[in-house]
Amino acid sequence: MILFNDISQTVLLILSVGLLISTLEYLKKVQIFSPNGLLSWNVMQLKWTKHDQRSFLKPFFKLFSASGLTVLFSIRCLLIIGLFFFPLQSPIGWALISLLGASLLISSLATYYGSDGSDQMSMLIIITLIVCNLPVLASSKLREIGLWFIALQACLSYAVAGIAKLVSAEWRSGTAIKDVFSTKTYGSKKATGFLKKYPVANRFLCWNVIIMESIFPLCLFLPWEFALIFLIWGFIFHFFTAVIMGLNSFFWAFMATYPAIYFVNHQMSWHLF
Amino acid sequence: MTQKLDPTVIYEMTITAFLACWFIATVLCQFKETKISWFIRYKIDLFNLIPLWTFFAPHPGKRDYHLLFRDKVTEADYSEWQELEITEERTFWSWLWNPEKRDKKILSDVVQSLVASIPSYRERTGNLNLLMFSTPYIIVLHAVSQYKKKSQNCYRQFMLAESSGYQKETEPGLILLSVFHQI
Repeated sequence: MILFNDISQTVLLILSVGLLISTLEYLKKVQIFSPNGLLSWNVMQLKWTKHDQRSFLKPFFKLFSASGLTVLFSIRCLLIIGLFFFPLQSPIGWALISLLGASLLISSLATYYGSDGSDQMSMLIIITLIVCNLPVLASSKLREIGLWFIALQACLSYAVAGIAKLVSAEWRSGTAIKDVFSTKTYGSKKATGFLKKYPVANRFLCWNVIIMESIFPLCLFLPWEFALIFLIWGFIFHFFTAVIMGLNSFFWAFMATYPAIYFVNHQMSWHLF
Repeated sequence: MTQKLDPTVIYEMTITAFLACWFIATVLCQFKETKISWFIRYKIDLFNLIPLWTFFAPHPGKRDYHLLFRDKVTEADYSEWQELEITEERTFWSWLWNPEKRDKKILSDVVQSLVASIPSYRERTGNLNLLMFSTPYIIVLHAVSQYKKKSQNCYRQFMLAESSGYQKETEPGLILLSVFHQI
């Protein structure tokens, strides 16, 4: 039975929703892996055979046709659905998540171009949950270490993103968001129109993102009622990047880390004040 | 008294060390590229497990990329430039369901990879001819070569261009113009 009071399980459930959507999206666009697609294996294999004569990878190369990947993505969907019914710490649940992890690792060879930070965060969480929940060998302490790792990676991701923006003249001057929103790739006509009409909003949004991302790791050390402010900010931030920029998979991948942040915050023996 | 090393303890120590190394490697690979970060990223990280968390910074992606191609039938007969439809506008449901983002991200990654490699090719060889053997170049050439040809024995050229989306005041720019390839 699935228990929502188990933090690792909650992390997995939130992530599973995002992974299911992401896998279904790949299934919808599977023609990009066909012989005349952008990521045709006829071409993509050059990337691996040129630099890496690693024979252990070669058996998987046969999978990277459009039909092979359709099968792989379909199996992945079934594995994810299975994870909604079998607890992570049960042998079946662990087998399902391990197969899911294996499918993510294998397909990453074919999706080298086109994958993003949400795919990396998802992979990072899945591998951590696999190794920290191995039946028989994994202790409750190791499960806690796994949650610490996920929380620290999440905080690192926000802090690095914030600092990288802080050193950028385009972000500091408050033009970056307007420029990104004005692209068809990551923006929207309405958002561009709004920011043109209210230029002060550009500067506010840029500095809001810079400051909140840079100091996000404080959420581990602040009393929970203050730490919650960061998580609510993160929820709103990811929701709007999904709505305006179409980055839907980031929402699920990063929301999945929040239960781990909650756990670490509550495990801290001291807080800043 | 030393703690007895049963399999659970050994496993716990091993995984803790593994996660610690992973976290340290992630920290080392942020910001400036060093010899260590280069080694981790290109020699060890086969499955792309070391993220770069600098999202949209320091240089925010403020250009849309466009891939166009044309055919040369004879020295005097060229087809019109034709664009691959990649930068489509999003739908209302894109916040939840957005499969189109993959095509855009692939093209964006490929173009950025090409653009990033141009200085090193120029430095090493003095010209860009060897760029034609790079994976991103071949990906783009392969993609455009799948489209219907104007005649059986024509040559195809592609162009990578950039524009600033909804900001019409900025002129589109040329990134790369290929030679004509027999396809």
